[in-house]
Amino acid sequence: MSDEKRTMTLNLTPREMAVLEELAAAKDLSKTGVMKLALRLLQAVDAKVRLGQKFLFEDEKTKEKSELIMV
Amino acid sequence: MNTSVGYLKRDDTREMVEASLLDEVSDSHLSMWEASWSPAMQSFCAGRPLADRPQDHHWDWRRKAEGLLPLLGYHSFALLCQNELQGLMLINDLKSARLASQFGKPLAYVEFLATAPWNRPEMHQRPRYRGVGTVMVGAVVELSFELGYSGRVGLHALPAAEHFYRDTCKMTELGKDAAHQNLMYFEMTENQAEAFRQRP
Repeated sequence: MSDEKRTMTLNLTPREMAVLEELAAAKDLSKTGVMKLALRLLQAVDAKVRLGQKFLFEDEKTKEKSELIMV
Repeated sequence: MNTSVGYLKRDDTREMVEASLLDEVSDSHLSMWEASWSPAMQSFCAGRPLADRPQDHHWDWRRKAEGLLPLLGYHSFALLCQNELQGLMLINDLKSARLASQFGKPLAYVEFLATAPWNRPEMHQRPRYRGVGTVMVGAVVELSFELGYSGRVGLHALPAAEHFYRDTCKMTELGKDAAHQNLMYFEMTENQAEAFRQRP
């Protein structure tokens, strides 16, 4: 991994910040860690969607599938 | 690309030798895989029934690297010693833990880890180097800490490697995974990662 870092400022609404803090606690990550994970996840999902694949969730018990539409 | 030092044991002299661990598989590493590793694997497999071939004999590292490495969520490592490729590893940092004590938290998941054919006791009576797997597991543990994942690591083990993750790495075995070719699934917790870091 490259050591070079660039800094940005992120302005969040109180509601967005509350969600970020909740996710950081649940995932045992810093708030920066959550934002970076979200970026990596979105890129991975977007790459699959660009290949024509669907983003699906499956209920382990009922096996019911639901599709998440990516914009 | 960053390089760190790892140590492998020469099987013939039992001496420890320095190896270079690179945190990015480059085109030159893939060329080394094509020039020496892949032909050695093909030569060993020629004429052998499928059941007698190494379980990773079909892994195409160029295809894996080219498809996944442009993504931020994937990381790769190459281990070199004496100007030869000794091991390759591909990691995905987008999965979450299954073990109850760390359920839902992100972990570094080892997608693929392999040692070069000339280092495998099942392929050569006198393997060249031992310890590739240990260096690679050390690398994924450090990556997990760097990512803020507290050393959490997960992987599915090929049957021949199960004992290594269970007995050497002291990872927790969570049973065979029907959704993943029935391979055994292992996880490393923060405490296990710290213990792995401090092992002699």
